[in-house]
Amino acid sequence: MKQAINLNVNGDTYELLVAPNLTLLEVLREKIGLMGTKRGCDLGACGACTVLVDGEAYLSCIMLAVDAVGKNITTIEGLSHEGELHPLQRSFIDNGGLQCGFCTPGMILTAKAVLDEDPSPTEESLKKKLAGNLCRCTGYKKVLDSVMDVAGQSSKEG
Amino acid sequence: MRLPKFEYIEPTGLKEASSILIKEGGARILAGGTDMLVNMKHRVDLPSLIVNIKKIPGLDSIRKENGTLKIGALTPLKQVSVNPDVLKFAPGLAQAASSVGSYHHQTMGTIGGNICQQNRCKYFNQSKWWRSSRELCFKAGGETCYVVNKKDICYSSYCGDMAPALLTMNAKVKLVDAQGAREVLLESIFSGDGKNPLNLKKGEILTEFVLPEDSMKGISIYRKTANRESIDFPIVGAALWASKESGSLRIAFTAVDRKPVVVQGALLTNKVEDIMELASKSARPVNNSVYSASYKKKMMGMLVKSMLGELN
Repeated sequence: MKQAINLNVNGDTYELLVAPNLTLLEVLREKIGLMGTKRGCDLGACGACTVLVDGEAYLSCIMLAVDAVGKNITTIEGLSHEGELHPLQRSFIDNGGLQCGFCTPGMILTAKAVLDEDPSPTEESLKKKLAGNLCRCTGYKKVLDSVMDVAGQSSKEG
Repeated sequence: MRLPKFEYIEPTGLKEASSILIKEGGARILAGGTDMLVNMKHRVDLPSLIVNIKKIPGLDSIRKENGTLKIGALTPLKQVSVNPDVLKFAPGLAQAASSVGSYHHQTMGTIGGNICQQNRCKYFNQSKWWRSSRELCFKAGGETCYVVNKKDICYSSYCGDMAPALLTMNAKVKLVDAQGAREVLLESIFSGDGKNPLNLKKGEILTEFVLPEDSMKGISIYRKTANRESIDFPIVGAALWASKESGSLRIAFTAVDRKPVVVQGALLTNKVEDIMELASKSARPVNNSVYSASYKKKMMGMLVKSMLGELN
């Protein structure tokens, strides 16, 4: 039976009628139309569907939409502020941290969760936490550089 | 991949949840969902009703009480891995929690859900399309276990990372149903039946882990060998607990048998080679993953050797 729910996505509230078997990923893409969150393996093994749920990195393909009620969801679309890219987005562009871009929303959101938790992580701990986001274009060096660049900035500033 | 259809309910109390589980035979508990929802997408788990217990308050805290350490079943693995008390008194448990899946699984997954995960097998954890090339295996509802080619038996392996670390610390679990609560040794809830890995009564919900006081005075370690350093289930996972004062030593393994295995009779004063041999004889792995049983046995010994090396 479908349920009427309210989802808070990127600061906006969406009133939706959803079946309980819809995942958060399906609702974000198909009901709300936010295509930035990607469907990769669809089994929670690649990280492409990463979104932030109350600031934590969650895999939206293995989370029920009805389970996300009452939580603050942030997708890649909600990261820029008044037309200004988020420092992580800017850094991925400047450092060439992407090729096809499919894994990038997940990479950036995981990186945001990691940096919010620890603004200046060691490269080792960053590698461990980003290891759940797979990139099939090339290596991970430039991705790490992009994130470490922002980490360096925030440690210098703060 | 769509999830199969099911009804969904969010009880706010344990008694309510337990009576729902008793009333609806096909009901299943949802915690983090990182294991169950994947199995549902593969159509090897088809609950008629999902009971989300995350709205029940008070099940996600870690606290010291009368010398014991109590960990709520809904505590996310990430919290277990960074909690100061766990790091101080049960570092092996923190190591196990930080080795589960990827960072995302640790954020979403809970310690109780990790213990209650389904057993795994190369014939079971596959898509419906992959499995359609032959009759269903026994675990998925058919007649034959393809690992051993026998009927009415299941040789899937228990692959949870948390179990060995908790077992070596003699952890107890609290089980609650509508009638009341009971506390039993964690070891006793593993059935050894690949098809139904847990010995829980109908309607019982695992709510808490209790680490006894004396187990927090020893050294605990968890080591895992896997395909990659992240995302993967263990090829072999091993935990060790030792007390240098009393010379006692406990070792436990995951991913090598139908339930996690505890090694009996190992003593810290024994020779390393003897402990390695005792350890690798403690389980009977079968060829139910891409790694052979003999490789798993060798790795069991190697992990024990490396953990014993860390004690000195």
